[in-house]
Amino acid sequence: MGMTLKRILTGSFLLLAPVLTVYSVKQTTWGPVFAAPKERQIGEPGAKVVIVEYSDFQCPSCAHIEPTIHQLMDIYKGKVRFIYKYYPLTKIHKNAMPAAHAAECAAAEKQFWPYHDRLFQTQMAWENLQDPTTSFMAIAQDVKLDIPTFQSCYADPSRLAPIELDAKEAQDRQVTATPTFFVGDERLVGEVFATDGARVIDREIRQ
Amino acid sequence: MTMKGSDFSGLFGRLVVGGVLLYAGFMKAVGPSAEFAAAIAAYKILPSAWVTPLALGLPYVEMWVGLFVLTGFYTRRAALAAAALFILFVLTLASARVRGIDLASCGCFGSDTLSPRYTLILDTALLALSVMVYRLSKYVRPWSLDQALQ
Repeated sequence: MGMTLKRILTGSFLLLAPVLTVYSVKQTTWGPVFAAPKERQIGEPGAKVVIVEYSDFQCPSCAHIEPTIHQLMDIYKGKVRFIYKYYPLTKIHKNAMPAAHAAECAAAEKQFWPYHDRLFQTQMAWENLQDPTTSFMAIAQDVKLDIPTFQSCYADPSRLAPIELDAKEAQDRQVTATPTFFVGDERLVGEVFATDGARVIDREIRQ
Repeated sequence: MTMKGSDFSGLFGRLVVGGVLLYAGFMKAVGPSAEFAAAIAAYKILPSAWVTPLALGLPYVEMWVGLFVLTGFYTRRAALAAAALFILFVLTLASARVRGIDLASCGCFGSDTLSPRYTLILDTALLALSVMVYRLSKYVRPWSLDQALQ
């Protein structure tokens, strides 16, 4: 066999090997999205397009993307449904789990969205606190929650179960960063939702 | 054939540079491309329309260059391509630092996180190693496909 042919074959093998290896190991389908309570959903209940966000209340990018989410929900009013899923990144954000716990208690009193908004708006005030409880109580008062009910819920560790379920679901879906959005099956991570979100929603509506 | 010191240095450089590129490309290619797209977008350098195609293509470029360097196939050209990649990475990371962009992770190794500061040091070292491999591969070295196919 000529040397040139040997080189062409070797080169072709080296070019193809990584492609075939990746193709054989890459996960192309994600785990299921489990139903979320209606308190953590907004928008049209029967909408064709469903947006799922995996988010962490202590994540600065999650707070930063909030105005974009509100803007898109206004633009696509009646056409999309938005679901919030907890994904507190507890290794890097020590107050993310308590914040999710507090939000879950607000959800129990049907005030998830106002509480969610206030948590993000005040993120810088509580993110570094040793104990953020006082801040979370203040937000509870702001959004007119029943304080004894909220306190009893916040002291109850069993209320963490939905948060842990969401986090497990996120891991099963290979979510490693927040915020991660799924518009239908398309995954958009972080600021890409701000730049590409509308285009993907439009495409899903047309399909 | 007796191996000289420069042969060992060349082999060492190839294994490190090729291994790191292959690993970095593979980790990104097997993960969701949207994760890498977000990492690229965070640098705020490219127009958004370029982000997804780059997120899909760059991991394969890294793997191909890495595999060519690792196996010593067209070693000199592959080392030059590796050096070009590391120059690109160093400039991108440095530009993010200069512009005060706070990146949680460089996005270089897929789901494995590495701080941009350490990545800058790593990429600079790998750039130096790539240049060394380029210089040493002026002549065909042992333990390479270039030698086997001579």
